[in-house]
Amino acid sequence: MSPLLREAAGPGRAVLEADGIQLAFDGRKILSDIYLRAQAGQITGLLGRNGSGKSTLLQTIFGARTVPDASVRVDGHRTVPAFRTPGLLNYLPQAQLLPPNLSLRQAARMLGVGLDEATAAFPELRAQLNHRPGELSGGTLRLVQVLLLLHADTVFSLFDEPFTGVMPVHIETLGAEMRRACQRKGIVLTDHRYAEVLPLCDVVYLLHQGRLLKLGAHPREELLDYGYLAR
Amino acid sequence: MIRVVTQMRAVLLFYRSVAPFVLGVSALLLGFVLLPLLLEGKAGGSLPTLLLVKVLTYPVVCYLAEQMRPDQYWFFFNLGLTRRRLWTSLAALDSLLFLGVAVLLKSLLA
Repeated sequence: MSPLLREAAGPGRAVLEADGIQLAFDGRKILSDIYLRAQAGQITGLLGRNGSGKSTLLQTIFGARTVPDASVRVDGHRTVPAFRTPGLLNYLPQAQLLPPNLSLRQAARMLGVGLDEATAAFPELRAQLNHRPGELSGGTLRLVQVLLLLHADTVFSLFDEPFTGVMPVHIETLGAEMRRACQRKGIVLTDHRYAEVLPLCDVVYLLHQGRLLKLGAHPREELLDYGYLAR
Repeated sequence: MIRVVTQMRAVLLFYRSVAPFVLGVSALLLGFVLLPLLLEGKAGGSLPTLLLVKVLTYPVVCYLAEQMRPDQYWFFFNLGLTRRRLWTSLAALDSLLFLGVAVLLKSLLA
């Protein structure tokens, strides 16, 4: 990580902002009037119905998807595409992250992640570190991928459905790992497991009809009001 | 320095993932075009043309790879590599390999 970014992740707390993101598919507006703010030291949750544009928003912030007029800034400095700035952010897609022909150990080395630290809370994973992604169960692979990005030296991590397939006994530990990691980085995550996401997050946004709404102190009530949860 | 080494390893990893496509094209061009020309003694001046044909196949290979494995880039994005950087590095590396083997064949059969 560059000294500038290291300083940003420290007491000053880097701020990631994204706005101007507008997107339509087949004439239907998916994203409009978006403003998202995430901060190092915080976990920001992003909820929304299927097809509401959560993944698209995260991919646009990451820089993998080009959207005209999209502005992504860190501490006011424009960073598009953000993933090209060393040590700034990483992104876990819904799809498989790791190449099929790379062992977990090799992948960790390329991402600059120490496996002892990354698997400290999940020692049972250590027996599988020489395996390739195809040799692991879906849930175990998902867990390892989240841990690798969580422990990578970046100021922000963006997670698209990090809990998918992960067994309940691990979700609680993973949540604790995220809380620990957010002492040194900012996390933006989206997942339908709202019961796990809500207590984990410092800030919660809801993508609703193309707009990004920042929820208040009682997000569950608002989620009911907007129809994300059933009464 | 570590970043550069990691990115070079990433390009090699990406090369491995599309090697069946690009090396297949190379094998076809070398085995079915250059080799017969060399054996007939008509290969003079054919290398630039073959290299051009080889270069022209990259967009096709890129398109096919994107259709077949649309999610192959995520790991590389997380290493700071763009699609363009991956494909230009791969094309440079693969073209050099192609040229090297072609020159070797030519000198062996001259």
